[in-house]
Amino acid sequence: MIASANSYSISGFGHDLPAKLEDLIDENTILVQRTLRSGQSLHYNGNVVILGDVNPGAEVAATGSIIIMGSLRGVVHAGAGGDVNAIVMAFHLQPTQLRIADHITRPPDNGAIDPDYPEMAQIKGGVVTIESFQYAGERQGKVT
Amino acid sequence: MGQVLVVTSGKGGVGKTTTTANIGTGLAAAGHKVALLDTDIGLRNLDVVLGLENRIVFDIVDVVNGNCRLRQALIRDKRFEGLHLLPAAQTKDKTAVNPDQMLGLIAELKKEFDYIIIDCPAGIEQGFRNAIAGAEKAIVVTTPEVSAVRDADRIIGLLEASDLREPKLIINRIRPKMVRQGDMMSIEDILDILAVDLLGIIPEDDMIVITTNRGEAVVLDQNSRSGQAYRNIVRRILGEEVPIINLDEEEEGFFKKLRRIIGLK
Repeated sequence: MIASANSYSISGFGHDLPAKLEDLIDENTILVQRTLRSGQSLHYNGNVVILGDVNPGAEVAATGSIIIMGSLRGVVHAGAGGDVNAIVMAFHLQPTQLRIADHITRPPDNGAIDPDYPEMAQIKGGVVTIESFQYAGERQGKVT
Repeated sequence: MGQVLVVTSGKGGVGKTTTTANIGTGLAAAGHKVALLDTDIGLRNLDVVLGLENRIVFDIVDVVNGNCRLRQALIRDKRFEGLHLLPAAQTKDKTAVNPDQMLGLIAELKKEFDYIIIDCPAGIEQGFRNAIAGAEKAIVVTTPEVSAVRDADRIIGLLEASDLREPKLIINRIRPKMVRQGDMMSIEDILDILAVDLLGIIPEDDMIVITTNRGEAVVLDQNSRSGQAYRNIVRRILGEEVPIINLDEEEEGFFKKLRRIIGLK
């Protein structure tokens, strides 16, 4: 299924965070301590955590979730084996294209939205949605 | 032993050859022995930019095939005793040389020169492989265009994969006015994506076209902004700390400058 561009929605700050991060814990996770540049790709059977950026022209595909501790500007595919519960999280979420399971989305063509806070993409109600991401402790006002 | 630098970009037309010619000339003007290597076999340009085209007898392919000695193929520059060019062949293609031959060639040049600067062809195929084979450091040239930056990013990835880490970046053809108006990528935008050290920025300048067509190097032109930018780059290569030029200040108008000189500002 190819979702239309408007299924790539961006909601407001800090509410409604249904995906439980505990559900994502999986021993099959790799940590990538580098930036993926144009032309580089990463395919992994499990979750991927990247300490770096994913630049335009780079791609990451994982059967699980993808977390990018940096800027996501390239193409990502989470839940590449069909897992609709997979998520994509990035400190700066500006993908060329974002795929979760068999949903393919892209930013709106007029997209001037460029928030400087972390965001998370997941499938909700059959469409890929983007929300700001806040750590639970931070939401409750705790200093972590 | 000399230092081996490769000037590369991925995309064509961003100023690799101009940069090679100017850095080479600048280093030679500072009294160093410099060899410039054109590895763009089949599309050679560096000889033209340096105004040495009519002196070519042997080329890089002749050297690696043993048709002549290295010394016979090296062309001495018109102005600087210490500047030499090993031209590319024009009638062959990139497969006429392989990376192992390049390593041998560079090992020989290193004995005699302080700096060996390799002008890399556009692309990521064998020409690129040849050019980076013997390099110790890389200079990546880009322009403030999305396509050029994308290709530079690809090249930086390939350089890292070949163990040429921490390449230095030159951003060429900047138009400060367009950057200010938000119509051109800024230096910060580019560094944000590429995340490498900046070696210098070159403003767009008609003098580049004028000097290049004459077979001269703008780095020797004391009055142009691009010449100053290249001189700064040369000084940074030599290990000096030189601040990056502030193009906004550089662009100030004649009257503003005059007022400042006579002390009204």
